[in-house]
Amino acid sequence: MTYNELTRRYFEHPARQGTLAGPDCYRGAAGSPSAGTWVQFDVRIARTGAATKVSEVRFLAFGCPHVIAAAGLVAEEGEGVTLEPRLAQSIHFLRERLEAPVEKLGRLFVVEDAWIAALRAAAGR
Amino acid sequence: MSASVVYLDYAATTPVAPEVAARMAECLTREGTFGNPGSATHAYGEAASASVEAARAQVAAAVGAQAADVVFTSGATEANNLAIFGTAQYCRDAGRHIVTARTEHKSVLDPCKELERRGWSVTYLAPDADGALDPARVAAAVRPETVLVSLMHVNNETGVIQDLGAIAELCAQAGNARVHVDAAQSVGKCGVDFAALGVDLMSVSAHKAYGPKGAGALLVSRRRGVQLTPILYGGGQEGSLRSGTVATHQAVGMGAAFELASAAPGGEHARIAALGERLWRRLRELGGVIRNGERAARVPHVLNVSFEGVEGESLLAAVQSHLAVSTGSACTSATQEPSYVLRALGRDDRLAESSLRFSLGRFTSEADIDTAGTVVVRAVERLRQIAGT
Repeated sequence: MTYNELTRRYFEHPARQGTLAGPDCYRGAAGSPSAGTWVQFDVRIARTGAATKVSEVRFLAFGCPHVIAAAGLVAEEGEGVTLEPRLAQSIHFLRERLEAPVEKLGRLFVVEDAWIAALRAAAGR
Repeated sequence: MSASVVYLDYAATTPVAPEVAARMAECLTREGTFGNPGSATHAYGEAASASVEAARAQVAAAVGAQAADVVFTSGATEANNLAIFGTAQYCRDAGRHIVTARTEHKSVLDPCKELERRGWSVTYLAPDADGALDPARVAAAVRPETVLVSLMHVNNETGVIQDLGAIAELCAQAGNARVHVDAAQSVGKCGVDFAALGVDLMSVSAHKAYGPKGAGALLVSRRRGVQLTPILYGGGQEGSLRSGTVATHQAVGMGAAFELASAAPGGEHARIAALGERLWRRLRELGGVIRNGERAARVPHVLNVSFEGVEGESLLAAVQSHLAVSTGSACTSATQEPSYVLRALGRDDRLAESSLRFSLGRFTSEADIDTAGTVVVRAVERLRQIAGT
């Protein structure tokens, strides 16, 4: 398996890897290590007036390099978004950016599911 | 190749020894023995034939066989195919049952599956948790209609050595089945004595022992009167068992490599064993690691380790810019499937996937081992941190 430069960079240097704790932090996870892919996002939310946004994201991931890179990208690009439970960009677009083979799509959906779970937890849904 | 990548995949293949390459080169050009060894009508052919026969004697001497037992093939895969299909066809009226093991190489398993499609019955024995086969269980699987027991000597993934002497002895008591041994990984790594083992057929490979790829042999015991039906026709070379012009340079390379393997310095085995243990001690410090085949007899050249808490593809990706190692066997790694050998040992899919095979060889140094240890420990620690385990 070969990986493009973006995948390599986010796999080898996952800057937002870790966890968050505190009253303004929420957690969502999907998948399972026994199934081969598991992702967890912690989001810290900030309320400014009527607006509530994600101010900080951390992730943990058990999975292939594409999953780890995707989780890192979602974490990075998720800071500053609203609590709308969706990815800023579609998982299909993320797969194309990472040049992940199509058979990895199922694993990448775990990343999306974990992100949506975290935002739903933050939104109290 | 980049010298910065430490090569620890000697069980997949080895570099051709310089002295072997030199001998092979002598067979290729006009000044050398380029003639067709089957051309008995002129000196060129006679010279090539003499080179092939000298190589045959070298191969035989290295594995305790007679020169007449050696049938040159394109490699161990062809030798395994010839042993299995050649026996099946020759013995088809005596019975249609074969005994083998789940941990065999694909070049044994796939011919067996093909025979099943043709109506044969095959028993696939499961090893114990360390990869060893109980000789009594093998013998118990032999039925009156069993014509072949095909088992490997040294497992390519785990390095586990099967007690083929005991298996052959018990199988002889249990019935009339021939015993075929896939010894592709054995030469130069542990003692192989075809005659002393008391087996009928044995496959060997050149490129696992610093010889060329595309060269191997099936040893067919003349002393035991073993006969086969060929799978290739057209020329009657190799005692009519393997038609086709014998590749003089390949046979000569194989002979030279096997002679070198036999003459390896006595301390080499101990040196490799010490290096393997040095690597294992370093990896063991991580915790959550399993040495596959831990309690079985193993060749020291292969260290197969499963790492808990890391995903297999990520583990390989994290080390591959520094190390040339295998996950599963080289023949199946392209499929990204968990190793069927490790699964047969009872490892679950995740653990089988997160396993690395380090195979050491003649050019492996202490510095290589220390680099490997550092690279793998860092990778596993980093991936476990990302996974929060």
